[in-house]
Amino acid sequence: MPGPSLLKEVLQRFFSKPVTIQYPFESTDVEKDLRGKHYADLSKCIGCSLCAIECPADAIVMEKLPEDKKPKQNPRGLYPVINYGLCVFCYRCVTVCPVKAFITTDDYHLASPTKLDSRDITLKTLLEKKG
Amino acid sequence: MAVTKVVEIPVTLEIPIGPQHPALHEPLMLKVYADGEEVVKVDINTGYNHRGIEKLCERNSFYRNIFICGRVCGICNTVHANCYVRAVEYLMDIDPPKRAKYLRVLAMELERIHSHLIINAIMAEILGFDTLFMYIMRDREKIMKAKEILTGNRVLADYMMVGGVRRDIDSVKKDRLLNIINIIEGDIKRYIKIFETDDTITKRLMSVGVIKPSQITKYGLLGPIARGSNIKIDVRMGDKYDAYDEIPFNVIVRKEMDSWARMMVRWEETIESINMCRYVLEHLPSDGPAVPDERRLPRRFPAGESFARVEAPRGELTYYINSVGRQVPYRVKIRTPSFNNIINSGFSYIGYSIADVPVILTSYDPCIACMERAVVTNVKRGTRKSVSLKQLAKGGV
Amino acid sequence: MEVPEKIKFLGDLVKEVHSIKPNRIVLEIDKENIRKAFELLLGNLGDTGFYLAVIVGTDHPDKNKISLDYYVITHPDKEVYILRTWLPRDDPRVPSVVDILPAALSGECETYDLLGILFEGNPYLKRGFFVSPDIYEKGIYPLRKDAKV
Repeated sequence: MPGPSLLKEVLQRFFSKPVTIQYPFESTDVEKDLRGKHYADLSKCIGCSLCAIECPADAIVMEKLPEDKKPKQNPRGLYPVINYGLCVFCYRCVTVCPVKAFITTDDYHLASPTKLDSRDITLKTLLEKKG
Repeated sequence: MAVTKVVEIPVTLEIPIGPQHPALHEPLMLKVYADGEEVVKVDINTGYNHRGIEKLCERNSFYRNIFICGRVCGICNTVHANCYVRAVEYLMDIDPPKRAKYLRVLAMELERIHSHLIINAIMAEILGFDTLFMYIMRDREKIMKAKEILTGNRVLADYMMVGGVRRDIDSVKKDRLLNIINIIEGDIKRYIKIFETDDTITKRLMSVGVIKPSQITKYGLLGPIARGSNIKIDVRMGDKYDAYDEIPFNVIVRKEMDSWARMMVRWEETIESINMCRYVLEHLPSDGPAVPDERRLPRRFPAGESFARVEAPRGELTYYINSVGRQVPYRVKIRTPSFNNIINSGFSYIGYSIADVPVILTSYDPCIACMERAVVTNVKRGTRKSVSLKQLAKGGV
Repeated sequence: MEVPEKIKFLGDLVKEVHSIKPNRIVLEIDKENIRKAFELLLGNLGDTGFYLAVIVGTDHPDKNKISLDYYVITHPDKEVYILRTWLPRDDPRVPSVVDILPAALSGECETYDLLGILFEGNPYLKRGFFVSPDIYEKGIYPLRKDAKV
């Protein structure tokens, strides 16, 4: 005995709008707490390097700040630079930081033809506070 | 006049069927020897270095390994991370609070639903029923949205941590998840009816790939394959880990022993998972913090060995950890269910036609979706032709 | 510790009993008695009474031995028993059980390819089962502690 037929739904769908989200022209709706692009806030970072030690993909490298811009809570003058090409967005760095110095966003548009890292956007947080 | 003897040599075709899978299960090659259209022998070759992960785990700390082991398999990443974290918790004798256990069960059951939907969609596609494939994939998107609400990412949910989970849910998220689950239930009941009555599916799947119960335990096959042949093995009932001792559910077993029974076991397990998710969301206890503070967890682990098992969507997954008291483990052994299911099952293809081989392979759930190529060598003519697995399933060569 | 009631028939083959977390019983057996142990299990528990889950090999260079574990899970009461043997590191050989228990095929092939344990009587053993050619041509067994990969 024939069971339920998909034919009725197929004919209905033929005349209605497609289900696919036409990506570059429409935007997808994502959650606000999606694990997207993250970077360090230098007004809180103390330079302890725990994020670089704990990253499972070795995507964080600690670099030296220029001498005149060292904030007073960061005596070693180190700050983390995340390489978004290696990062797997597990957010281990965010949860293991002792002073909660990471800013998280839900930005996932990270495909790029060149290497992308967080140096510029992290250094900007320092300039905003100072300036 | 001399009498010449006529000796007839059967023409055999050697057909390698090679799904190559860099990220998921063991990629392997099935060399199928066929006499006309009937399969006489199957060789299973593997040759891709999947086990680099066990050596890699010996060099990274216990916490980095949680994320590494969660990336062994894309579709069942929650269960891998859960099994590893539970093996570590047995080593340290930690018992997480009940709320964390319930949330872990929720994540794992959502993953079971989405994995069963994908393998049924692939089975429909292999048979040529592309419309059903598209409709099941559209409904799977709702489950991915549910995973995004719960864990923060659609596929790779880095959700497990020693001592609990990494995110909690509030009442707004709970209502949205309940909404999604109620919508999905209606869709799945419709698909079950289609699988039971539609001729395209029943004529291709019934009586194909029959495995008897004594063969299942002798050859070590697990998961829905064993449950489709009347052997009631389920780690959730056997070990009662996490919150499974408090959540009511049934173990689905079927008696028909063929590929159709295996797919029906998966559909009925999906309904059970939906009921379990609903129970978890309605009865979440609040006896303690579900999220441990990751900054205060211990760095060194005591010496000892532990063995944890979990019910992945494909079968029983086991982790063995041996630690000597340092920050890195001494030995981590991972045995995925597809390892036993695919490599030990070479006996079950014999006697069926070539067009049945992809159907039987898909009913074992190896995830062929990514890339498959079959090369047909016609020995008599010496020609080679490349066909895709789908074409092979549609009508042989 | 005592041999559990369910597998009392293995009693005289067992040298020592202890447990690993979380309460799984380990029975230490000599390597010559492994085949006999599986024959006794098949005889007493039947074809559908148990299944072989995992075969694990671990290299211990400090004790100069390799340990080999067979994990047996009974059905339907789901108890986990571990049969453990110790093999000398310079010549690890053990009789294979693949003819009486075909489920051992995948585990034995993998352990041979990664650790170098020779299972005598298994016709399917070959290098290159998992390891890629550029490593096995040098004769390295990757999971040994002194292998640099």
